[in-house]
Amino acid sequence: MSNQATELLVSACIQSLQAYPPFDRMEAESLRFLAQRVKLAHYPSGARILARESGVARTLYILQRGRVDVVRSGGDRKRESSSVTLGPGQSFSIGALMAQRETVGAYVARDDVFCYELAAEDFFALTQKSTVFNLFCTQYIADLLRQSQQQLQLQLAQRAAEQKTMNSPLSMILSREPVAVTADTPVRRVVELMASQHLGSMVVVDAERQPVGIFTLSDILKRIVLPGASLEQAIAEVMSPAPQTLPVAANAHDAALLMAMHRVRHVLAVDEGGRLRGVVSERDLFKLQGAGLRQIRHAIDAATSIAVLQHAREDVRQLALTMLSEGVGAQEITQFISTLNDAVTRRVIELNLDRHDFYGIDWAWLAFGSEGRDEQTFTTDQDNGIVFICTDIMDREQTQLRFLDFAREVNDDLDKCGFPLCKGNIMASNPELCLTLEEWEEKFAQWVRTPEPLALLNATIFFDFRPLHGRFNLAHRMRLSLLRQTQANPLFLRMLAQNALEVAPPLGRIRDFVTGDDPEHPGTIDLKKYGVRLFTDAARLFALANQVEATNTVARLRRASSLMKIAAEETAAIVDGFNFIQMLRLRHQHFEQEHGRSGDNLIRPDELNEVERHILKESFRQARRLQVRLKLDYQI
Amino acid sequence: MVWLSNLFTGPHAQAQRLTKGQLQRISAWRRLPAPDLSRSHYRSRYVLIDIAIAGEDWQNGPLGAIGALALADGLIDFNAALQLSMVHPAVADDAARPPGEPLPVAVIRGEQRVEALLALLAFVGKAPLVAFHASFVARRIERVLAKALGVELDLPWIDLAWVMAGLFRELGDKQARMDAWLEHFGVVSIERHNPVSDAYALAQLLQLALARAAHKGFETPASLVELEKARRHLYPRA
Repeated sequence: MSNQATELLVSACIQSLQAYPPFDRMEAESLRFLAQRVKLAHYPSGARILARESGVARTLYILQRGRVDVVRSGGDRKRESSSVTLGPGQSFSIGALMAQRETVGAYVARDDVFCYELAAEDFFALTQKSTVFNLFCTQYIADLLRQSQQQLQLQLAQRAAEQKTMNSPLSMILSREPVAVTADTPVRRVVELMASQHLGSMVVVDAERQPVGIFTLSDILKRIVLPGASLEQAIAEVMSPAPQTLPVAANAHDAALLMAMHRVRHVLAVDEGGRLRGVVSERDLFKLQGAGLRQIRHAIDAATSIAVLQHAREDVRQLALTMLSEGVGAQEITQFISTLNDAVTRRVIELNLDRHDFYGIDWAWLAFGSEGRDEQTFTTDQDNGIVFICTDIMDREQTQLRFLDFAREVNDDLDKCGFPLCKGNIMASNPELCLTLEEWEEKFAQWVRTPEPLALLNATIFFDFRPLHGRFNLAHRMRLSLLRQTQANPLFLRMLAQNALEVAPPLGRIRDFVTGDDPEHPGTIDLKKYGVRLFTDAARLFALANQVEATNTVARLRRASSLMKIAAEETAAIVDGFNFIQMLRLRHQHFEQEHGRSGDNLIRPDELNEVERHILKESFRQARRLQVRLKLDYQI
Repeated sequence: MVWLSNLFTGPHAQAQRLTKGQLQRISAWRRLPAPDLSRSHYRSRYVLIDIAIAGEDWQNGPLGAIGALALADGLIDFNAALQLSMVHPAVADDAARPPGEPLPVAVIRGEQRVEALLALLAFVGKAPLVAFHASFVARRIERVLAKALGVELDLPWIDLAWVMAGLFRELGDKQARMDAWLEHFGVVSIERHNPVSDAYALAQLLQLALARAAHKGFETPASLVELEKARRHLYPRA
């Protein structure tokens, strides 16, 4: 019913809203729609306007007057609870409304609060009606993502701080119970012990377990083997007496200083009674310092053997963790891992090229899958291939055999360096993947022309190729021919879209998440299959449909969406969602590997904190947006 | 039954002759159940009434306009609002600006007046009514309804002036003017003395009062009526 009285109140409401964003920019018609549907409510100071116990959010609250405290419950950790205050013109809780769930925090009136209340269905109608409001909500979600990422990084930084550094007391660095012998122990017994327990040194103690001497591996050579001393004599005869000791409360710096001053490689940690508590070696200290990006890069490029490269791989992992804790985003970290993995792979290829001569042949080493997309995480197996040019058809077989020999060795060496062999045999040593340029082009063309299930699966792996070594222009020619093919075959793109839509984001109607039905891992979500894949599949499709040459998912999304006229803010929210899932994967894999398990992608939503669960849900919602877009674009 | 309703109106026998349809609407209103004053404020429907007097004489001048706004379940819905003019517009407008010569007031009569008051009756239903200085407002509203429709309203009126003074001691123990309350709580009347705008401002005062009342144990409309009664008893000359 529209009448004079309503008109007066509605226009007053419009005026009061117009003082604040986003209402100041909102389309007049939408603003009127909003003002006609809100109801004004009052809450006295201290009233809990909206909280988790209120259940699924059904109302948008726009503050007209007064202030509202947002009390974030930090789960079981009290210190995490923080409070933000909202004032007139601010709305809540957009996140909960959009996701149709409970709020994370509680909204408590600080003083007398008047707010306009809009029912959920009118809220959704408004997001449909008003582009300004829609954008506002999208940005709001993106902000939440950013906030959560900061929180996540804070946690990781705390973990890193808990980790051992040069400032750590020796008590933290000592890992094993010290093995010690008494002064009358025969040298033979000491050497046997050192060998069986892989000890670099043996401490000699008196009856009170106070150290009286030390005997190291190098002493065996200098004091036993070379002089031909008897193995039966007491260790006291050959040990270095009066070893350097430090109280266990001293830190690693002190130990390093002592070693430098006395030119020794071992320092003994003792308790207040001077009793032996452990041994700190120079190597222990070296490990604490960690390696920087430059050193790792240098070590990789200068490596002359596979053994050195093996160490570099471990350094890459460590540095990636440090970056993770220092707040570097998932996108940068995955790219960084990929870059260093590229460096390792290139070096492995170069080392093998010493033994294989391809002079006069144009060829390139290709990376596929996540490596091709520059999105490697801590656990990555090999996905690679070779493309070469064969000028004389008669030489083809012979040339391929030479490349296969070479590829087999590279694949094995990469395996030694921490890139496990591909179970699906997606490796350059597979004759199917060691092909001439024309053969690759034909292979791609065939997949595009007859998009049967296997071809579509192949497309999701092989179309994300990137050259790592050799003639990069061969890869570029492959790319151009691929884009030509996909352009000419709209059916292929449609099938690819259908394929991408086969997996839906694991969002539940009743519960927050739908967890996998894998009986071995109940209550988990596979973040690769049900998370990252949703984004990479859509990004690949956008790229192929819009002639974008990039293989990286974020680059594809950014470039394609600008061609597709998708708002930059919308794309930013999608990218944030993707990065958040990648971040969770990285963190999960790191923790898994820290506990000696092979890092998988199975996370338990129950084990995430409230904010993370919330953001994960928003991230999945971004994936759903992408899928909706695909459905619309391809009429599926 | 025209004769009967005319009989009830007594001295206002010149009351408009009502059509059958209009009489039916009145009897439908009469059949509505009496208001249940024992439910929580937040499950009750209050109707706020404010009036404007036309002309110079604010005590005895003709009723210029009526503004009504519902507060249902504690919420103000802009669609549940009503404005009724009782005098012809130009005059009513000028009447709001006292300086200068008093203008002749052209009262709306006949069919138009009856329909307006029927709309008010339908809007109010049997809800408890709330006004500032309710006895004055009640007298005017009840008189005009009786005169035009032959209806005896007989609904509880709650006087915000008394209730606010009883619930909030911040402005002293005595009754304060409406402007003082509005200023104290930072409630802005969009267009002061426009009855709809004032009813909206009053509705916000009522929201504040209900929250405070509930906090103090006055949880129902009936308890507000009691509160007012007690205060009138305590301060007979206020």
